[in-house]
Amino acid sequence: MKVTFKIWRQENAKSNGGFQSYEVDGLTDDMSFLEALDHLNEILVGQNQKTIAYEYDCREGICGQCGVFINGRAHGPLDNITTCQLHMRSFTDGQTIVVEPWRAKAFPVIKDLVVDRSALDNIMEQGGYISAKTGTAPEANAILVGKDVADKAMDAAACIGCGACVASCKNASAALFTAAKINHMNSLPQGKQEAHRRVLEMSRQMELEGFGSCTFTGACEVECPEGISITNIAEMNARRAMAKWHNL
Amino acid sequence: MFLRKSIIALTGLFLCIFLIVHLSANIILLLPQETARGLYNAYATTLRESFLIKIVAYVLYLSIILHVIYAIQITFKNRRAKPKKYLENKLRQNSSWASQNMGLLGVAILLFLVVHLANFWARIKLGLGEGVRLDDNGHVDVYEVTYSLFQNSYYVFFYTVLMVPLGLHLHHGFKSAFMTLGFYHKKGLNILAKISLAYAGMMSIGFGIIPLMVYLK
Ligand code: HEM
Ligand code: FES
Repeated sequence: MKVTFKIWRQENAKSNGGFQSYEVDGLTDDMSFLEALDHLNEILVGQNQKTIAYEYDCREGICGQCGVFINGRAHGPLDNITTCQLHMRSFTDGQTIVVEPWRAKAFPVIKDLVVDRSALDNIMEQGGYISAKTGTAPEANAILVGKDVADKAMDAAACIGCGACVASCKNASAALFTAAKINHMNSLPQGKQEAHRRVLEMSRQMELEGFGSCTFTGACEVECPEGISITNIAEMNARRAMAKWHNL
Repeated sequence: MFLRKSIIALTGLFLCIFLIVHLSANIILLLPQETARGLYNAYATTLRESFLIKIVAYVLYLSIILHVIYAIQITFKNRRAKPKKYLENKLRQNSSWASQNMGLLGVAILLFLVVHLANFWARIKLGLGEGVRLDDNGHVDVYEVTYSLFQNSYYVFFYTVLMVPLGLHLHHGFKSAFMTLGFYHKKGLNILAKISLAYAGMMSIGFGIIPLMVYLK
């Protein structure tokens, strides 16, 4: 299999960057997308050229580290997967594949396809935790949680923080990420004590980081590898309104 | 931005309700010429003389102004959040065109509103331009203003075509407003999406077809 990669190259955060094309031969259908990029990097090393920078860790769709914009879609042409789960069989022989870094003011490019997602960590620092010393793992049934609540919290907790929601949103809004984190914690008994402060401060930090607001286009839930529902954002809005009301 | 976005949603929904009332009244225009004239002018007079309607009218003006100002603000702020666009972006694969272009659709509606208000509101309420006669019952002949306007095919075309962006704006806006305001019940939202489509369809087809029907009278 042979494809042409058209890849964004940028030396560092300050330089301008631009696209560069690479014709790559010797790929197979069952190679993952990242393996295809690895293959290209090996060729570049052989030619004594600078390799392309991109992020990954687990390569099994659980860490959220990987993530690039491929042919006009976050994480590539399929819905609800990570870049590392994408395979070359999703492309055709001879195809040109455009690879770009996540684009958002709050996600500055560090090098090539790597962006700085610290802004998401800054949102987490405003309440994406429970301020109590938990010691060792407690007895599982000490605090009872109904199955429906546990399921819903788990669906939101599935967020791996990859940033595809921000990348695919026309407003570069981090609303899906922030909502998932808030709803996960606020729906569980352990999170209730700080629920109001959490929703207000995390949503505030989201705006301070320079993310846009939500227009409910729904692009995020299609690109989210965990399929986190956009209704989470509506729920965050409801929780925010309740917290505001409570603080009056 | 959360507060401003909620105001866009609230004013938007108020405007949505206004449109239902407005369209219902405009159905009178489809009746035979003289029946329509009598009823429409009487209705218009009743509205003009009602104190309650006066308040509603001011709420309406304020709603439009707030909706537009905040919408423009939020659109520009959102644009700043994404300064660099993708070389390739297949938006149609993950979202509707209308949802991606609410600002553009809004500008089309605003263009319509300016012309619409100049045609009716400025002439009838502000008394600008050509004077408006009274009908046989002594009511201001609002019907005549409408009827004569829609004898002009350019206006008919304008009034009909611009109901397309209105429909698209409403199709996304109606359901989006509920989510902005915190309605997150999944099944409810599925039903709401259908209501939103039906509502938008009725408004754009309803408002769009009346000028045509009047023209063909
Ligand atoms: C008959 C007139 C109009 C009605 C009934 C209407 C209704 C709505 C509704 C219900 C929403 C949804 C709010 C939300 O997503 O929470 C909305 C959003 C919006 N409207 Fe309007 N609108 C009207 C006119 C306009 C005009 C004249 C403009 C602009 C010049 C405008 C610009 C916008 C924009 C930009 C949004 C999306 C804001 C965002 O989510 O980013 N609208 N509209
Ligand atoms: S590398 Fe861990 S999710 Fe892709």
